[in-house]
Amino acid sequence: MKLVMDNLGFLFTGAYYTLLITIVSMFFGLFIGLFTAIARLKGNRLVAGIARVYVSIIRGTPIIVQIFIIYYGLPDYGIALQPMTAAYISLSINIGAYLSETFRGAILSVDKGQTEAALSLGLTPWQTMRKVVLPQAARTAIPPMGNTFIGILKETSLVSIVTVTELLRSAQLLIAQYYVAMPFYLAIAIMYWVMSTGFSAILNVIERKLSKAY
Amino acid sequence: MIEVSHLSKSFGSLSVLKDVSLDIRQGEIVVLLGPSGSGKSTLLRCLNGLEQADAGSVRIDSVRIEAMMRAKERKKAVHELRSLTGMVFQSFNLFPHLTVLDNVIMAPMTVKNMPKEQAVEIAERLLGKVGLAEKRDEYPSRLSGGQQQRVAIARALAMEPKIMLFDEPTSALDPELTGEVLQVMRQLAEEGMTMVVVTHEMKFAQEVANRIVFMSEGIIQEEGAPEHFFAGPKTERARKFLRQMAQEPV
Repeated sequence: MKLVMDNLGFLFTGAYYTLLITIVSMFFGLFIGLFTAIARLKGNRLVAGIARVYVSIIRGTPIIVQIFIIYYGLPDYGIALQPMTAAYISLSINIGAYLSETFRGAILSVDKGQTEAALSLGLTPWQTMRKVVLPQAARTAIPPMGNTFIGILKETSLVSIVTVTELLRSAQLLIAQYYVAMPFYLAIAIMYWVMSTGFSAILNVIERKLSKAY
Repeated sequence: MIEVSHLSKSFGSLSVLKDVSLDIRQGEIVVLLGPSGSGKSTLLRCLNGLEQADAGSVRIDSVRIEAMMRAKERKKAVHELRSLTGMVFQSFNLFPHLTVLDNVIMAPMTVKNMPKEQAVEIAERLLGKVGLAEKRDEYPSRLSGGQQQRVAIARALAMEPKIMLFDEPTSALDPELTGEVLQVMRQLAEEGMTMVVVTHEMKFAQEVANRIVFMSEGIIQEEGAPEHFFAGPKTERARKFLRQMAQEPV
């Protein structure tokens, strides 16, 4: 216990990176996901096809393999990325694919009459999407988005393998130094748990805010 | 003002409009009657491009849209068509995430880039007109069906259309709520708005319409002034339809 307390600062730094990777990847993943969802729903056959293949590949391969391809595979072609950059890129691409499915479902769940009403008022299809469909889809998408977010918070632990010193790797470094495992693993388990439940709580508040109109 | 010529439309193998032609003058109130599935709604939806015809053309003022147009030209024409028409739907289709006021000001601000104060001014006037000025800050889910439909009418009017299209505006309403919506429509008619109305409200058709267009099986079977149509329909189909409508307890 004392060992954990003595190294709390180091662990917090790890937690900070875990959070940072989660938030940055989620941010870019959101845009990728939204873009992919709209590409699949509204794009021509080529665009929709590319989007579909992308989602299929990402969802059909382990995230760890995706991380390895980005970090260890790309240098073969002269693209050597920093560990953090590789983490951001691989996780964003991964989240994007999963979120695109969430968004697609959410967009499809908005009643067709809404689109028709907006179009009949003279809005362009893009204005209709932005002003009418997406705000309503957001409400449907928030709960599954929250799950993705919390899922990714935990999966960031995988990027420890490419030497990003996030929470898990911080613990492993300390374990290698002190030759005791349990206190550190328990400590980071608690920290993951606190972060996950914290985010759940935040998402609940957002959800309630968004549904106040209904 | 509206000129529909030789319009045809199929959904798969089902032919819903068969070579339909119809002219509507400015200020005219045309009620489309007919059994369900007769193509009335489809015809109405062709007037603002929500439905794309397979053949024929629609012209409103100087905007003409033809079935055989190229995608880009069509897009432009549809957009212009929609600036001339306002539509009211059976299921209201108010935007549930926006307040009543925001529902009304959204399109003028988005489409016309109207400054907010001006849009709000127009919206308040229109909400007053449909008798819902005090509901401006409510969300649609807090309103009754009749109130929602009146807001939907105000929302369409805010774009200052030359023609109002009504697609069974009272069919989703309880009988005691249809009156308030029909009242607003009557008022619009009196103000000289050109209106095309699909409805099953026979009394409204009889009292407000200048012309009844009776459709069945994708064809305009007959048309005429309401006093003639209701007193002596020319076709057997229309007679049958009127008999059936008379039997329905309203």
